[in-house]
Amino acid sequence: MKPQEIQHLYWRAGFGILPKPLHDLQKKSKKAVLNDLFFKSKNDSPLRIDTSEIDHLLTNKGKLSDDEKKKIQQYSRKKLIELNAAWIHRLGTTDAVLREKMTLFWANVFVCRDNNVAYMQRYNNTLRQHALGDFRAFVNAISKEAAMTKYLNTQQNKKQKPNENFARELMELFTLGEGHYTEQDIKESARAFTGYSHNLKGDFVLRRFQHDQGEKTFFGKTGNFNGEDIVDIILEQEQCARFISKKIYKYFVNDSIDENHVEAMTRVFYKDYNIANLMHFIFNSDWFYDAKHIGSKIKSPIEFMVGMNRLVPIQFSKPRQLLYIQKQLGQILLDPPNVAGWKGGRNWIDSNTIVLRLKLPSMLLNNAYISKAEVGEEDTMINVKKNVFKKGFGKRMDINCDWETFTKNFNSISINELQNYILAGAMNPDTKQYIEGLEKVSKKEYSIQLMSLPEYQMC
Amino acid sequence: MERRKFLKQSSLASSLFFVPGFIRAFEDVVTKTSRYKRLVIVQLSGGNDGLNTVVPYQNDLYYKNRPTLGIPKSQILSLNDEIGLNHNLVPLKNLYDQGYLTIINNVGYPNPVRSHFRSMDIWQTASDANKYLQTGWIGRFLDAYGKHPYDAIEIDDSLSLAMKGEGLNGIATQNPKSLFNLTRDPYFKHLKAVQEDAHLSEHNLGYLYKTMIAAQSSAKYIYETSNTVAANNDYPNNAFAKQLRTTAQFINSNLETRVFYTALNGFDTHANQKNRQNRLLKTYSESVMAFVDDLKMNGTFKDTLILTFSEFGRRVQQNASTGTDHGTANNIFIIGENLKQQGIFNGAPNLNELDENGDLKFEIDFRNIYATLLDKWLEVDPSKVLNNTFKPLNFI
Repeated sequence: MKPQEIQHLYWRAGFGILPKPLHDLQKKSKKAVLNDLFFKSKNDSPLRIDTSEIDHLLTNKGKLSDDEKKKIQQYSRKKLIELNAAWIHRLGTTDAVLREKMTLFWANVFVCRDNNVAYMQRYNNTLRQHALGDFRAFVNAISKEAAMTKYLNTQQNKKQKPNENFARELMELFTLGEGHYTEQDIKESARAFTGYSHNLKGDFVLRRFQHDQGEKTFFGKTGNFNGEDIVDIILEQEQCARFISKKIYKYFVNDSIDENHVEAMTRVFYKDYNIANLMHFIFNSDWFYDAKHIGSKIKSPIEFMVGMNRLVPIQFSKPRQLLYIQKQLGQILLDPPNVAGWKGGRNWIDSNTIVLRLKLPSMLLNNAYISKAEVGEEDTMINVKKNVFKKGFGKRMDINCDWETFTKNFNSISINELQNYILAGAMNPDTKQYIEGLEKVSKKEYSIQLMSLPEYQMC
Repeated sequence: MERRKFLKQSSLASSLFFVPGFIRAFEDVVTKTSRYKRLVIVQLSGGNDGLNTVVPYQNDLYYKNRPTLGIPKSQILSLNDEIGLNHNLVPLKNLYDQGYLTIINNVGYPNPVRSHFRSMDIWQTASDANKYLQTGWIGRFLDAYGKHPYDAIEIDDSLSLAMKGEGLNGIATQNPKSLFNLTRDPYFKHLKAVQEDAHLSEHNLGYLYKTMIAAQSSAKYIYETSNTVAANNDYPNNAFAKQLRTTAQFINSNLETRVFYTALNGFDTHANQKNRQNRLLKTYSESVMAFVDDLKMNGTFKDTLILTFSEFGRRVQQNASTGTDHGTANNIFIIGENLKQQGIFNGAPNLNELDENGDLKFEIDFRNIYATLLDKWLEVDPSKVLNNTFKPLNFI
């Protein structure tokens, strides 16, 4: 497989690729490269942080006291930050890149948020578990998650007084899209999800007396449907396969849809709703490697951060600082803006986020310094400027950058080739000219220059 | 005038660069013929307890529901024989007495949501309770009527959803100098060359370049313009007052910005509400007073309107921890010199008729308030921003 194709595959299916694995894969056929990619994501290892301080409260048989509830809330607030950092760490270090990338994708489809860290952790692991699995089982699992029954009020969905929130979003945002169901479908399906609830531990419980056993008519079918029946009927609609295919195309291929490719994906997905098969179909298609797709997408803030972290590992001693950067960049993991999720694409970019994105690599990794010495010149400012930053603003940043790993990983790469490994696509001609007129002071300084370009925002 | 004439006639065009900032600002004021109106939004985050802010102090039900949390009659700053202000709102009473304040009671929306997060989302996107929008109402105002990111400024480090449009976003800054400094690295200046590229917005990379260039020039414009006037020091010492002080500096320097977004946090008073809320209300009203004084001194108050809202009010009945839980309808404040209906716009909340949660029922949809601000203050077509036909009211 061609190096540029492998890089493209790894930007989209993962978070970029380093020289050594790239060179190893180059010798292999496309089939073997894909096998390797899927094999590494075969196993699912849940993300777990220590929540022992509240675990015993959540296995309580009786009701929680107000103090205990408060304790769970306060503890969760702290621990959710830790879970956020643990997730980002996982993204930056895992070999199961496809599974993690898919988990990130699904987190923006089945959007959910809760203030209980145990439920949020469970939810996150459910996304991870089903990320490449059977879509039907996935939707059912989501509908029964404690965090989801809280977030979209299925808990309050009772026989006597149905709450339509979950049923509506299930169809509008999770499976079919607006305009592909009627208000009556929502009303009827909401009845099928009545009684969906959870116990303290977060396990699914069907509250039988609140569940409406009666007949419902949904998409022209009539029966004593429960939630799973509704999911079955939704999946019978080809539109469901199309809706998900579109989302996947936008996320993994291109912001603008190619109807033919999406239709081909829809046919594959509709057959068995197997997510891994669909992903394999995409990565195996010739069109996936079209030049127009390469380096054409704007990285999400998390892709940007994680990609940078894979080049030069960064450790934040204070997870709050990492959280703060996510806020500034417009994407805090585990904290989506609403159930519609992040809009993505150009929406990531505003005046503030572009300015920060361009400045962040140098700030985090190089004392805010970007070398501007011209070819043949010595960069005389380098140490003075870095020291000024270090003594001033830099003092406030509690991070550790591991440039040794970078040096080791790029040892065999000549400085003149570096841009081929750091940037996903071609440089703008004017920018290229400017960069070529600058002295390549060192691999470190040159990589900072590259990471400070708008081009580095692309994948 | 003599000095101005001299400066204008000066043979060196570049001499303009040596003119002290305050003179340039002065020139701007006199040469500018069409001043335009600015909207300042104050978001009270956390759900301000409206009933202890504008108190129905003659209503026995109020004291019955709030045996220890109710504000004693003797402390109330009475507005009429029905309602009065919390005693920490003396400056606001002062604005009221001058005819600069309109209080609109019972503002909310159908099927109210009691989650902070979601309800704030509804207020910021102006969506229905069962719809989810990915653009904010100010963002859509920018889409339809804006040109530059600085047409709407949030006094913060990052943008709220309210400020994000489909094609244009506002810009966030607490400190114009540090925003400017972030964009100032000469390295980025050199990347500007591509702006000649005709295909700039056709592909995503071009869009990044375009946004970068717009950000650089906005940051420069905001910094250099606001720098022409000194910030007033006559403000209380707190973070919210600082936001308003920066806003006033922006306004007084004639920055061509239509909307400013500010926020005061901490109103989620589930326990021991009294001290906390009182302190916040004091901070709010003293800071707003300083802001109004600052604008008045600079002749810009007449072109400024201030909207204050919170994502929801709180439950009528106090809870077991001398606090209040999340509620629904709430009052909002409109502050300005051009109020059509000064004082109290509508009747006090009806404590007899609560919803099944024991919360107030709303009477006025907040989107009618937005529609009014868009139509009568910003003078644009509200239907282009609110995607719906919410009728303007007549308080301005």
